Amino acid sequence: MKHRFLSLVVVILLISSPIFTAAQKEQPYQQDNAITVYAYDSFVSEWGPGPAVIAGFEQSTGIKVHLVSVGNASELLRRAQLERNNPRADIILGIPNGSLGQMRDSGLFEAYVPRAMNEIFPFLHIDPDNVFIPFNYGVFSFIYDSDHIDTPPVSMQDLLDPTWKKSIILMDPRTSSVGMGLLEWSYAVYGENYISWWTALKPNILTIADSWSSGYGLFTQGEAPIVISYTTSPVYHIMAEDTDRYVSTAFEEGNALVIEGVGMLTSSKNKDGAKAFIEYLLTDAQSTIAVANVMYPANMTTELPPAFDVIAQPKKLLSIDFEILVKNQDRWLTEWVEAMSR
Amino acid sequence: MKQGAPRSVYQHSSFYSLIGLPGLLILIVLFIIPLAILLFNAFVDDAGTVTFQRITSIVTNPYIIRILAFTLFQAFLSTFVSVLVALPGAYLTSNFEFKGKRLIKSLCMVPFVLPSILVVLGFVIFYGNSGMVNRMLIQLFDLNEPPLHILYSFKAIIMAHAFYNIPIAMGLISSYWERLPVSANQAASTLGARGFTTFRTITLPRLTPAIISASTLVFLFCYSSFAIILVLGGGPQFTTMEVEIYREARIMLDTNAAAALSVVSIVIALCFVAVYSYMQNIMSNQEEFTSPLSTRKRMMGLRKPTFAAVFLIIVYSMLLAIFVLGPMIAIVVRSFQAPLTRTSQMEFSLKWYRQLFGFSQSFLFTSAITAILYSTAIAFVTALVSLITSTITSAILCSLKQRGRLLTELLAMMPMAVSSVIIGLGYHIISSRLYGSTSWKMIALVMAHVVIASPLVLRTILPTYRSILPTYMQASMTLGATVSKTFRKIEIPLLRSAMVTGASFAFAISMGELNATLVLSDSHVITIPIVMYRLIGSYNYNAACALGSVLILFYIIIFFIAESIKRKKYA
Repeated sequence: MKHRFLSLVVVILLISSPIFTAAQKEQPYQQDNAITVYAYDSFVSEWGPGPAVIAGFEQSTGIKVHLVSVGNASELLRRAQLERNNPRADIILGIPNGSLGQMRDSGLFEAYVPRAMNEIFPFLHIDPDNVFIPFNYGVFSFIYDSDHIDTPPVSMQDLLDPTWKKSIILMDPRTSSVGMGLLEWSYAVYGENYISWWTALKPNILTIADSWSSGYGLFTQGEAPIVISYTTSPVYHIMAEDTDRYVSTAFEEGNALVIEGVGMLTSSKNKDGAKAFIEYLLTDAQSTIAVANVMYPANMTTELPPAFDVIAQPKKLLSIDFEILVKNQDRWLTEWVEAMSR
Repeated sequence: MKQGAPRSVYQHSSFYSLIGLPGLLILIVLFIIPLAILLFNAFVDDAGTVTFQRITSIVTNPYIIRILAFTLFQAFLSTFVSVLVALPGAYLTSNFEFKGKRLIKSLCMVPFVLPSILVVLGFVIFYGNSGMVNRMLIQLFDLNEPPLHILYSFKAIIMAHAFYNIPIAMGLISSYWERLPVSANQAASTLGARGFTTFRTITLPRLTPAIISASTLVFLFCYSSFAIILVLGGGPQFTTMEVEIYREARIMLDTNAAAALSVVSIVIALCFVAVYSYMQNIMSNQEEFTSPLSTRKRMMGLRKPTFAAVFLIIVYSMLLAIFVLGPMIAIVVRSFQAPLTRTSQMEFSLKWYRQLFGFSQSFLFTSAITAILYSTAIAFVTALVSLITSTITSAILCSLKQRGRLLTELLAMMPMAVSSVIIGLGYHIISSRLYGSTSWKMIALVMAHVVIASPLVLRTILPTYRSILPTYMQASMTLGATVSKTFRKIEIPLLRSAMVTGASFAFAISMGELNATLVLSDSHVITIPIVMYRLIGSYNYNAACALGSVLILFYIIIFFIAESIKRKKYA
């Protein structure tokens, strides 16, 4: 018994030691002509744009990139703030426009006007001080399952129709950025009357999920024929699954926008490298990012695969000024919970 | 017997204080310090002065009180239902010998350690509007509409919690039950007591420590649940404290408010745990006798079940099997299905497995294989370390005096009572302080897994430890053995079964852990849940189901090995 236990311990140590030593071989952070980029996990993932973008950048500039995943997009700013006194990153990549207020207030970022700025869609210029540099954007949209729906909803108002009873899957704005996006969208359309739209929508909602992942999973498993996601979501199904069953909609009132930005830290010791990275991100990397993130490129000269041509073109893009957002976000959430939890 | 008295012989032995040090250090560095830094924010206002205003405004806010009431209500109901349904199962698995028992017991442990997104998917594929059950009923009775609307209601929440917790409660109670000697039951029946009377007056009171232990665990689990509650409950009318903490910390980026909510939430959860633990302390009368022989004795002592009993047993087992296995099988089935052409129905296919493990790519190891290697290695180390620290903690808990005991136990249970969002922020603090080297991060990662797994391992070992008859130790020491020798030669062997269960839990928890790994690993260490998270994040739910099936298979193997080790006779 005792010997068996000891040999078990030895076996475990033998199995695990190569992995632990392999982990040790990773390069140290400080290196000449290298930059450290903090990004959300799905950017870093092998299914995300990270690996290809970094390889391309390193090859064309000779600058080494340490790409570090810090978890969710909502955790990026927090990590930068926690490391205020011993900053290690040069670039923070993937900050959503909803966090623009906090990003500016943190005072951690340095303004930079990229050379490629004139190729960026003008409606993405939301930060007058150029601390937040847009590289990628998405348009919120209701996706429907064409196997179950012949005449899809055409407007926010249309969604209130009793035909869609228990047919819509949404996400909770308290836990999901897509959920928050829809809340802002409803405010952009209805202003202070937004809550009455939500109350009228209630009978048509099947469930309000905690995250986009579980909500969209329910949708693809056939639980309900309508889900809130992005106009670009069908691109994935066309390119990876060869099916055009899932279709996005462009609403008459317009669709709300989410912009992902990148920022350069004031503390960066290799600002030339960081700037080169931002330039690369806004030009050569745009197509790779758009395809892997299944979102739109910020640079209007980007060439995209044909799958992007068939998706719904938004009639109007809606966004809320970040100052209004910062002031009202908490109130909207409170009012929303109050209305929806009855 | 008087509380605490029997162990007083070696209560002041330095042995028990010394062996406690490593476990305590891990807990302090990786849990207490970051948590304290975070929770400190709850008591500081914007100007930096100490204030209780945040806390008072929370406990007087009617909305928060309503949420808190619901959180407690659903946790109690879920616990009650889970433990009640688990009891007959625990009775069966601990009192009868039948074919496939080891497999059943192994399968039972799986749900508890499944990632919540997989459980949601499994539930939807099985019970959903277009799920397997509904489709089967539609075909059977030729219906037009799905007949069952189970999900998106309060009962779906309780069902999902029961799915998670019935098996674990069953496992915990049965691993204690099978060690209960049958002599008292035999005495009772000799004295003319019928089956149920014996159960009520003899078995139930002696099972109480295990029942309370399991209930505490189930309660804390349901208390902090939120993904399940939102998705399967149907929306914000069912909201737990965790959601509000999430809102403040992640959406509003207001750490102070999140910290204040957490403080309230932790204190309330721990109050209930304290009551439980206190009750357990009072009720564990330490007269039980656990010996490896008792298992065989109880088999012989049992009367043959009547026909009616056999019938009930079969019905119960089948229902439970469908309930617990259904969603898991649904995940596995889905992982083998893919549409072959654009318009066709789902058919059998290995497409998703080929995607995960295919060698078509240029690199030798796909990330799925790397992830499996990493996960197993980390889980091995985690299991080993948490087994050692938890056994030691149990030893300390039993040697401490009443008051200190309760406090230490609460401290050890804390990781389960603290919101995962807050723990996540804690990991960020640790991670931002860790310089450079990845091997330090690996160590921090394993330690974080140890902290997460420990409460469960402790819950497994503690009731058994408490039931060890102190006279054994006294006899051992009278015969000249030192305290440490007694610990090694008497206590450890008696704890073997519970230790194996605990270690297998720690292994499984570590394999399924996502949040800490995501934050601490800096993307250099990829584990099975991380790959699954990434697959789901990039729309590929089916490949995620395939990897989830691999995870389930791993769990079954681990728990099966554990059951086999437990069964081995002593050398």
